[in-house]
Amino acid sequence: MKAFHAEISKLLSLPGIWLALLIGALAPAVIAALDAIAEKEAIIAGVSTRLPEMGYSGLGLGVQGVIILGVLAVSSEYRTESSEGAGGQQISTSLMVVSSRLQLFLAKAGAVSVISILLCILAVILIVPTTRYILGDYAPLLEWTRLAGAVCYWTFTALLAFGLTLLTKQGMIPLTMLMINSSLVSFSVLLAKVTKLAFYLPDRAGMEMFMFTKNSASTEVTGSLFDSYHTPFTGGLIMFAWVAVLLGIAAIVFHRRDVAA
Amino acid sequence: MSVSSGRKTIRILRAELDKLMTLPWIWTAVTVTFLVHLLLTAAFTSASLQEGAAAPGILNTGLASMSYLQAGFIILGILAACSEYTGGQIRTTLTVIPWRGRQLFMKHLALTLITIPAAFILTASGVLYAGWRLDGHAAGVEPHEVIQALLGATGYLTLTTLLSAAIGALLRRTLPALVILLGYYFIISPWSRGLLPAYFPDTAGRYMYLLPSSGELNVLTPVQGAGILMIWSVSLVAVAIVVYRIRDA
Repeated sequence: MKAFHAEISKLLSLPGIWLALLIGALAPAVIAALDAIAEKEAIIAGVSTRLPEMGYSGLGLGVQGVIILGVLAVSSEYRTESSEGAGGQQISTSLMVVSSRLQLFLAKAGAVSVISILLCILAVILIVPTTRYILGDYAPLLEWTRLAGAVCYWTFTALLAFGLTLLTKQGMIPLTMLMINSSLVSFSVLLAKVTKLAFYLPDRAGMEMFMFTKNSASTEVTGSLFDSYHTPFTGGLIMFAWVAVLLGIAAIVFHRRDVAA
Repeated sequence: MSVSSGRKTIRILRAELDKLMTLPWIWTAVTVTFLVHLLLTAAFTSASLQEGAAAPGILNTGLASMSYLQAGFIILGILAACSEYTGGQIRTTLTVIPWRGRQLFMKHLALTLITIPAAFILTASGVLYAGWRLDGHAAGVEPHEVIQALLGATGYLTLTTLLSAAIGALLRRTLPALVILLGYYFIISPWSRGLLPAYFPDTAGRYMYLLPSSGELNVLTPVQGAGILMIWSVSLVAVAIVVYRIRDA
């Protein structure tokens, strides 16, 4: 519990964390607002198609915030300090204080999950009044199951970022990969054009926890690819399996790796 | 020892080139970008083979992965600028080369010298691959169109790299710079396309390599696109140099 506390305070005092918290909390609401404005014009014009999706697209893109969170949580430990600071890494201090590696790993993963859950709830709290305010009476009721799905999606994505960074020990590769992949030009969407197996990739499957209703209409950017393939529950299970496997590998590697290596 | 100004400039350029060439991550970044680019081009090519007659032409398929490719070059630019600030290298650099404006300018020039061949090889390999796979399946292209598109793509990637290096030099930290640039290029920009006028660095720059045949989407000519992107890059580099000159290192 002490280790968990320490991880939370370490995480919240990181130099880049404000960016993650800002993006995670505000970006979904801003995107939802812009989306809702466009949708309102469509409703007035009588060509509304995407009403059930309102607000969720913001959650799908706001996941960037927790990606940064998960990556920063680990990459900050492995950042080599300047030669004036004896070129040390924080990880050696962390492991000296919490000598059980498994405990450190669990504490860190726990801190990342808790913060991303809170961040997602905050984002949802901001989204609901935004869509309500702009759309007025048209605003759809946000279903609890789908919101819970979004919270799961955020947490799982943060944990994926955490696990990947633990394997690479530096933030650039996982950050680039995950950020591009959760954007509108995601690799998974591209791969889904080539093979059906791409529907089992973690982000594509996880998105279905909240993103795709049946017959959801297409936007001009994504085309008709965003049709649902799994049920929300199986989508969540698939993503959870990815997270479990990745965290398992990361835990083993972290447990056995030389700190200096 | 007194050295003439021209010799001095050349020495700074050589030093900056040396530093860039020996950065451990630069070559990894270029190689990984190359491999990912080939994989993506292969995916795009087989997707357009499946589409059959409606498929886009060889050039469009070969350059389809440009939007991903630019991520590699953004990383390249950020790495070049931010590597000075990991550890105390910046102090060594400024002790040896106390002319700040000239030093940062030469750094960007050295980066350009590395980026141009890398970008050209990458884009050309993509187009060659698409041309080989789609031979006979898609409409042929004129050689001068290929050359124009390749030059445009190379210029686009080079200017994007310079822009990222300038942002990196301004922010001095790798991850925030990466987040901001990737967030702009991959989240904000594709999302707001159509809402905003095409005067932003990526939306204008796209016209440098897009074929003029894609319909009414082409608001800008390649030269106009290149001009706008160049204004962005040059002014950001200028801002970076000005800030660098007056800032506490």
